[in-house]
Amino acid sequence: MEYILKNGIVYDPTNKINGEKKDICFKDGKIVDDVSSDAKVIDATDKLVMAAGVDPHSHIAGPKLVVGRLYRPEDSRRGIVPKTDVTRAETGFSVPSCPATGYRYSRMGYGTVVEAAMPPLEAKHTHEEIMAIPNIDVAPLALFGNNWFTLEYARDGKIDDLTAFVAHWLKLVKGYGIKIVNPCGGEAWGWGMNVHGVDDPAPYWNVTSREVVRALSQVNENLGLPHSIHLHPNDLGHPGNFETTVESMKMVDDIAKNAPLRNQTIHMTHIQYHSYAGTNWRDFESGAEDVAKYINNNDYVTCDVGQITLDETTTMTADGPMEYDLHQLNGLKWANKDIELETTSGIVPFIYSGRNSVHSVQWAIGLEMFLMVDDPWKIMLTTDSPNAGPFIRYPRVISWLMSNKRRMEMIENEEVHKAVQRKSSIATLDREYDFNEIATISRAAPAKAYGFDDRGHLGVGARADIAVYDINPNDIDPSNEYETIEKAFGNAAFTIKDGQILVQDGEVVSVKSSKTLWSNVVGMEQKEKDVMKKVMPVFNKYYTVKFENYKVHDHFVPNPIEFTVQAGK
Amino acid sequence: MKTITFNQKETSPIALEFDELIPDEIFTWEKSDFDSYMVPIGNSKFPLSNYFDVEVEGTAESPAEVVMIINGDLGRVKYIGAKMSNGQIVANSSVDLHCGAEMSGGSLLVNGDAESYAGREMTGGELTIKGNVKEFCGASYIGDWRGMTGGIITIEGNAGKQLGECLTGGEIRVKGNCDILAGIHMTKGLIQIDGDVTRWPGGQMQNGDIVINGKLSRSLEGFDYQEVITDPTISGKSFSGKYIKYLGDIARNGKGNLWLNAEKNRYLL
Amino acid sequence: MAYEEPITDYDHIVENCTCAFCGCNCDDLTYLVKDGHVVGVRHACRLGASKVMEDMDQRLMVPMIRDDNGKLVEVDWDSALDKAAELIAGAVRPVFYGWSETSIETMKYGLELGELVGAVLDNQATICHGPSLQAVQNAGYPVMTLGEVKNRADMVVYTGNNAMNSHPRHLGRYSTFPRGYFRKRGRFDRTVVTMDPRYTDTAKMSDIWVGFEQNGDYEFYNAMRAVLRGKKLKKDIISGIPKEDIEELVESMKNVEFGALFFGLGLTHTLSKQRNIDIAISLIQDLNKFAKWNLIPMRGHFNVNGFNIFMAYEMGFPYGVDFSRGYPRYMNGETNTIDLLTREEPDVFMVIAADPGAHFPGGANRHLANIPVIQIDIHWGPSTELADIVLPGSFIGVEAAGTSYRMDGVPIYMKKAIDKPETCRDDEWIVNELLKRVQKIKGVDAKMASK
Repeated sequence: MEYILKNGIVYDPTNKINGEKKDICFKDGKIVDDVSSDAKVIDATDKLVMAAGVDPHSHIAGPKLVVGRLYRPEDSRRGIVPKTDVTRAETGFSVPSCPATGYRYSRMGYGTVVEAAMPPLEAKHTHEEIMAIPNIDVAPLALFGNNWFTLEYARDGKIDDLTAFVAHWLKLVKGYGIKIVNPCGGEAWGWGMNVHGVDDPAPYWNVTSREVVRALSQVNENLGLPHSIHLHPNDLGHPGNFETTVESMKMVDDIAKNAPLRNQTIHMTHIQYHSYAGTNWRDFESGAEDVAKYINNNDYVTCDVGQITLDETTTMTADGPMEYDLHQLNGLKWANKDIELETTSGIVPFIYSGRNSVHSVQWAIGLEMFLMVDDPWKIMLTTDSPNAGPFIRYPRVISWLMSNKRRMEMIENEEVHKAVQRKSSIATLDREYDFNEIATISRAAPAKAYGFDDRGHLGVGARADIAVYDINPNDIDPSNEYETIEKAFGNAAFTIKDGQILVQDGEVVSVKSSKTLWSNVVGMEQKEKDVMKKVMPVFNKYYTVKFENYKVHDHFVPNPIEFTVQAGK
Repeated sequence: MKTITFNQKETSPIALEFDELIPDEIFTWEKSDFDSYMVPIGNSKFPLSNYFDVEVEGTAESPAEVVMIINGDLGRVKYIGAKMSNGQIVANSSVDLHCGAEMSGGSLLVNGDAESYAGREMTGGELTIKGNVKEFCGASYIGDWRGMTGGIITIEGNAGKQLGECLTGGEIRVKGNCDILAGIHMTKGLIQIDGDVTRWPGGQMQNGDIVINGKLSRSLEGFDYQEVITDPTISGKSFSGKYIKYLGDIARNGKGNLWLNAEKNRYLL
Repeated sequence: MAYEEPITDYDHIVENCTCAFCGCNCDDLTYLVKDGHVVGVRHACRLGASKVMEDMDQRLMVPMIRDDNGKLVEVDWDSALDKAAELIAGAVRPVFYGWSETSIETMKYGLELGELVGAVLDNQATICHGPSLQAVQNAGYPVMTLGEVKNRADMVVYTGNNAMNSHPRHLGRYSTFPRGYFRKRGRFDRTVVTMDPRYTDTAKMSDIWVGFEQNGDYEFYNAMRAVLRGKKLKKDIISGIPKEDIEELVESMKNVEFGALFFGLGLTHTLSKQRNIDIAISLIQDLNKFAKWNLIPMRGHFNVNGFNIFMAYEMGFPYGVDFSRGYPRYMNGETNTIDLLTREEPDVFMVIAADPGAHFPGGANRHLANIPVIQIDIHWGPSTELADIVLPGSFIGVEAAGTSYRMDGVPIYMKKAIDKPETCRDDEWIVNELLKRVQKIKGVDAKMASK
């Protein structure tokens, strides 16, 4: 089937197209140079056209999501939409059901989402949920930061063993890349403890976060994975943690990059939660300046923000000790899930309120990061959904970034606590994002950071993943018309995925199966076999499932997109 | 004023759902609207006229001017008065689940018993039940820690288990007896029970007041004796007589108060 | 127990099979296969082994329909499926109950069918750990996988549950006896506590037995929490336990390195129901200020947890989900099977991989006798006596592969070891056939993106 999307105003930062009026042709799911006169015409005259969105960090599928849904029926009830002729019923606000997740991303013009934390033992569960999510492609990152084999090999400096282990495990669990969450802190939580800073060793293991992150970073580059290590550093949400954050970036500054597409060797996730100054919640203030300065001066780092949206949401992270602290703070129901030999996680409902000074300053810190990091290729749009707010708030965050007027209005009307003026510099930052920068932080930069060359842009050969928004960028004044901006980005005029029109005028008009992106490392099979000889005795002794039943069978990944990685190349 | 009278013609084994038939929705409706209305039953909708004859008298400019009278056996009619914000409903029978759930104003009178979840998550208005209520009267939706936040529920008969679960405001008065765990997890508001209570009122309560004018058979260790007060004022209401005041539930650092009539509970002194 | 000769007469073995009995989902079974039948099972407990080996005992072999004389008579598959589809398509309050002994793959079709016709989908949680789920929704869910217990736990508490009889390999494979990474001496490195009114087999092999009074659970746990907050207990005896014993117990629970609590139906089905679990969860949360503590509900069927997980990720609610209004509703006491049946609301009942005839209260079964019942199962049971249409399925984990979730949420793909009887069909196939036939009657196309 051939299509021509006519007369849209195109923003495609990867291909340096900045607001040109231009036709986009696509055929059989791919973008092409030209189409025949039989092509079906989609009229996008004077409408904003971008590649479909790429979300670099979101929690949408897996065991902790299901705990969130299972133990928060009151949240499920908040997002109920009855079934239609096309769609199934939707539930959930902060932790939507799988079908709702797909539809809602589609309505915002998104096509690809990275599921940020897949515990290997329960990877089958994550993949089952990915199967149940329609309309988007999903790349799950596997958790390695507190894995016992990682801890052992990092401690003993056995980088080659760890390299083979990671290569093999990505195959077993069908993972896309390496996620590290509160390294060593997760293992400490096995005993109800935590680690502080990057040099505090995990109990019994005698290995530090610095050693683990460096080892995994080395492994990542040895393998040449499409994405860099994806780090949720230590001390999340602690006042004064910006020092740990800067140190976490510094400690891998000597590791050489080995991948063609991306620039970074480390991706720092939900940086907002890691840019705090002060010593306690009373003198808590923004530490964004130091963190932003480091990122501005170093090209081997990218980050995503985790912007607070001031909603009642559900926090969920593999950072178990942090969630227990949060439960102690707000007294709301606490769920925890420790996974043998691998990771922990915790879940707590949380009400972020503009009347609360701490939450408001957190809101300001996220925006400061967006506004202080100069290069939009280094910073990406996320709310660490659902932690800082559900992903359906991206359009609102975009409206904040494009309108200093709106931000000042929120401060002046006390929609946020007045403490933001004392404890952050948000009121002094008048930068406003343009559409090109929005396109960068929400599609082009994430695609580049993940090594996707088939999406995140509109060049010939790319997948026909396209979003059309019902605004004329040459006509609108985002600074004043921030409500229009929010509405348009939340209700795509068209969302096209692999050439199929999924959304029209904000309504889901068709559905398609999701695909799973994963990295298949080839070329080190013998090394993998050798390391498995060491792994198996430990596996058999300390796991409670048999190895044969551990792996993710092909049956759970019916629509794979395999990224073949030549190890070391 | 507009009086809308529902006279039952036939009962249904599968419950009718009345959530759309509240003054807020129907104050402009004429008889013909009711006759053509399809009422949800199970997975289908059936003509309301199969089950009720509806008479309409007078006119209304707003929901406040509506009086709905429902006659018949309403044991299989759910959601009577649910989400109503104004007007008046009188149900002349025992009613099914969720009567007055999430109501925010107006008044609902039940001349009979109510099934579970009566007045669940009420935010305002008045719900009066002449008979008994089953479980979870004035409770929260499952999983929510915020239950009823306002309004008044009066139960002239007895109340079942977990009355006022997660109560976050408003007032519940039971003139009869009450089963276990009244006011469990409550954080605010007043529960007054004039009859006897079986076991464990106020389990894991954080704040608010529970007054028991009858005898309490068994209390929890999480409640600490404070003092005996004569003619106390509790949640802004005056009570006469001697009351034993307890603080709890200590088990979760609660600051709520349990007030027991000293006469009836002399064994505790 | 009499000595039994080891089985030596078999054709081949199949290793790493998963037991389709309790929520332990032991995945280390070896089946000894001869002539297409499992003649021996290694590693399994007696419950699991007998279920697998006696797969042909009272086996439902052919589709049947109850005739005018009240007798079940054999019919062909098309007739049985068409009749069942017709009943489902015409129902006003259909209930699809069971699912806990079949695969997630089967549930997918069942859910699509439920959404299509506006049915209530419910599973055995409604009569077992439903109160636990309600409590989880109120209080939280601090859980772990069973390997955490094996590797770390130095105190293991069983409450309201007799694992030795209900989950026989639980202590041996996961919690108490195995040698873990940090518990190299296994049983000797752990203290085992049983809190139960009965002196059960589990209590007998525990280090500490706390026999609180029946229905006294809530008060007992409330007192423990109060002690944890530093309160001196006033009553001498609380729920039948001397206050000194409670104080001592709390002290020892505070002073462990890693504690694990397992609770069962003894807590969910006594006087305070979900509030017993609610307060036990809160106790575990409080204990985390002093030591690491987690809990796991002792789920019964091998996939009862799977249904709850599956429904939650598909539709946001774990069980008792009512699609009658075109969107899911979840309301305990309203959308659960037992309540609906005792209120005599359902007009068609489909039971898959469950035995309400054996498990439901009389009032509920009385209504089942009055309405059309469709049974999908592998064995003849009390429910067959209530059934009007019988559709013989296959044995997940033996005759058909499928996904299940262990009590701790670990997913396991249970493999197929032998072929099913020729006249039976896979559950997945049966439910999909029903779906296709109902879709045809209603004139709609398949909608789910996963199809």
